[in-house]
Amino acid sequence: MSQAARMKFYCDEDRCIECFACAVACSVAHELPVGISRRKVITLFDGIEGKEISTSIACMHCTDAPCEQVCPVDCFYIREDGIVLHDKETCIGCGYCLYACPFGAPQFPRDGAFGIKGAMDKCTMCAGGPEETNSSKERQLYGQNRIAEGKVPACAAMCSTNALLVGDAERVSEVYRRRIAGRGTTAY
Amino acid sequence: MANTWGYGAMTNHFGDIVKHSKAIMVIGANSAVANPIGFKHMLQAKDSNRAKLIVIDPIFTRSAAKADHYLRIRTGTDIALIYGFLHIIFKNGWEDREFLKDRVYGMDLIKEEAKKWTPEETSNVTGVPVEQIIQVANVIAKTKPMTVIWALGITQHSIGTSNTRILPILQLALGNMGKKGGGTNIIRGHDNVQGSTDMGNLADTLSGYYGLAEGAWKYYAQGWGVDFNWLQKRFFEPKWMNEKGFSLAKWYQGVLQEEKTYSSSPIRAVWIQGTGITSMAQTHKMKEALDKLDLVVIAEPFLNEAAVITDRKDDLYILPTGTQFETEGTVTATNRSSQWRSKIIEPLYEAKSDEQIMFEFAKKFGFYDEYVRGMMMGIEDGVIKQVKKDFVWPDDAVREIARIIQSIGLTGWTPERLRAHQENWHLFDPLTLEGRGKMKGEYYGLPWPCWDEKHPGSPVLYDIDTPASEGGMGFRNRFGLEHNGVSQLASERVTVRGSKIKGGYPQITKENIEKVLGIKLTEAEKAKMGPSWAMDYSGIIVKKCREAGVVPYGNAKARTIVWEFPDPIPLHREPIHSPRWDLVKKYPTYPDQEKNFRVETKYISEQQKKDWSKEFPTMIVSMRVVNLSGAGMLERTSKYLAHITPEMFANIHPDLALEHGIKDGDMMWLHAPHGTKIKVKAKHNFSVTPDRICLPYNFAGVWQGVDQSDKYPEETRPYAIGEPSNLITNYGFDIITQISEFNAGLCRVEKA
Repeated sequence: MSQAARMKFYCDEDRCIECFACAVACSVAHELPVGISRRKVITLFDGIEGKEISTSIACMHCTDAPCEQVCPVDCFYIREDGIVLHDKETCIGCGYCLYACPFGAPQFPRDGAFGIKGAMDKCTMCAGGPEETNSSKERQLYGQNRIAEGKVPACAAMCSTNALLVGDAERVSEVYRRRIAGRGTTAY
Repeated sequence: MANTWGYGAMTNHFGDIVKHSKAIMVIGANSAVANPIGFKHMLQAKDSNRAKLIVIDPIFTRSAAKADHYLRIRTGTDIALIYGFLHIIFKNGWEDREFLKDRVYGMDLIKEEAKKWTPEETSNVTGVPVEQIIQVANVIAKTKPMTVIWALGITQHSIGTSNTRILPILQLALGNMGKKGGGTNIIRGHDNVQGSTDMGNLADTLSGYYGLAEGAWKYYAQGWGVDFNWLQKRFFEPKWMNEKGFSLAKWYQGVLQEEKTYSSSPIRAVWIQGTGITSMAQTHKMKEALDKLDLVVIAEPFLNEAAVITDRKDDLYILPTGTQFETEGTVTATNRSSQWRSKIIEPLYEAKSDEQIMFEFAKKFGFYDEYVRGMMMGIEDGVIKQVKKDFVWPDDAVREIARIIQSIGLTGWTPERLRAHQENWHLFDPLTLEGRGKMKGEYYGLPWPCWDEKHPGSPVLYDIDTPASEGGMGFRNRFGLEHNGVSQLASERVTVRGSKIKGGYPQITKENIEKVLGIKLTEAEKAKMGPSWAMDYSGIIVKKCREAGVVPYGNAKARTIVWEFPDPIPLHREPIHSPRWDLVKKYPTYPDQEKNFRVETKYISEQQKKDWSKEFPTMIVSMRVVNLSGAGMLERTSKYLAHITPEMFANIHPDLALEHGIKDGDMMWLHAPHGTKIKVKAKHNFSVTPDRICLPYNFAGVWQGVDQSDKYPEETRPYAIGEPSNLITNYGFDIITQISEFNAGLCRVEKA
């Protein structure tokens, strides 16, 4: 039985050097306002020998996406290939998804009066949204739809060390497994 | 490096590291931040060869975070550490004796000096624990091939030149030179740094490392089709033609003349094109000089903050220059490969490309015809002459470069070949650089030396296991035939594969060619031939060498002794401003220098004036942030890049910060020995120890606590501004190159 591809991100922490290329490529590609970070680069234990680790985080496009489960207006939908998207015109900006998400992926503009939140924005894996593919409305609301054009998401395409892997989960895990076998280390 | 074995450039290439290196020693380089793509190759080597990564740095950098061994060294003690390794290597007989016997001159003196550097003394000076010195010495001696990588952390010191010699010496001792996966790989951080060095954008040489002697000028006069006397008359007096000019590091003394200068006149005008003045040390002196000049012209695509730090109200011109997308030509990568770059658009608005600006300049000053004639020259029947009345940009400029710069073998870099490489990028292997299909038999970008139009380029320097016609060579014969009665040529056992000559041989000249190659020249050939391989427009020397499988520059020994230098072998000397007053007496710096690049420079008188560390106890370590390069002028105008580091800061250990009552995020003053100060945000961080702070050099727009936003021309203020760290970079310059001491100095921390 052939299995449909499930699209996943994985960041190889032994490769990530916190160069921010992914985050900047994302912001530029989708022309995001400064402060909306669909993708973030973080370093833990900064400067501590033997412990410091850098990684890149965005929406992980969970198989069992908690955001989708808690959304009171049901604005989320999961594509057949596993990419988790949402409809900004249905979203009411309540922020439940942010509480549910273990990765802090959902982003909200914060410039409204009384700190009112606008519609949620998050990584689309460069797959746009529910509007007509590659329409100007889709581009305006969700940014580029590179997946429809057969292109790798902007972040992984720009990654300077090939730390950020994206694609069919099977392939991503194969690439990573080959790397750690070469390194002689084990996966965490 | 050039003084060790002939050429001062990266010997191998990044793909070679991935494919062959078993150990990688990174010292004075933070490639993860300064060259992320280059660093990828080191990470790939870990995956493909289980390569051991050793990072030596005063701070725990992002590169160090990926290392198998991290050595926290005190700033300015690299020579001591390497001698510490050599001490252990020689003591255990781990050196490559055959390699040393056949291909190296003078290692005995190094061995003597290394005897002093016991692990205990090395540890005392460098701050690296004894056990770690021993452990890493074991790793580097036993893991082969090892490559050594460095960058500005090595060169930017008062002892920078010695630093760049001790690392080649280590690689010679271990026999890692001329080997795949070995070599000394100096990483160039910015686009085309190797190319601008090759083109001699310096005060002490003509393009191609020809120097400024009369012979070099005459060779160039011929190549440019101009009269030597005309060239000489352009100078105030003939003698200045052969004198070094002022250097980028100390040009301001040519204006201010506070230190003794040697020039026909003070400098009255400055033209700044393609360099960020605020990324230079002694920024306060640069400002004074900019204020005092009669005329300042800045030609840049983004506003150069030289225009902002100065208080001058008049005679300051800013010319908009096109970017790399608005011109065409070649750039040289860190590994000596050339790449053709196409023009994407015409210069926008009123901007002009760099070359258009220079052409206009030459027209205005009345030497345009002479300026461009080199591009109309050609070689006909072995004789150089003007062959046409017009030129095509940039093709004829590239041809001129290929015709003249024989010294590093740019002879094979024709525009046709380089364009073909650009167009057939996909046909080259990224790890071996070898071409496939119609590019078969060539290495990507024809890494120099590329001796003639059939040569494939040289991916790995000094590799004798490869024929000369395929990129092989011995060390260059550059320092004479003998020294103290010892031959400087390689031994009879060092034969470049396929060479007609067994063992070492001298560089090929008109005088020795018949004898060395065992050939007979015709009278016509003799008449056309230039005096030596590097000055032979006829191409006959290179042709005869090719026929004999011989490398034109000879096959010699590398040397550890540079008898022309103040320190014939590298010696540890404490920084001008050292935190270790006890060691300043034991390892003093040089005597004061009377004249280099037209100006005197203080060494010992400054170092031993007083114990600077009493008043200024904290070491300054300079760093780069990944999102900004150089003076940061370009990147700080990008909102996304500026957002990553929106303001200037310094990494400070919480223990040091809290001693001064400075909380994370508080502002603090940093005071320099020469009286300047900067106000920056304190970032509590464990990458530094309490004895040192670390700060990026990529900011400008705030001056000793004063915001200079109002001084930017309309709509040019970048999103992020901050204090230039070089305001407090201490006084100090390399004894040979005069590069500033950016990487070892002292300061005093104070809560703002």
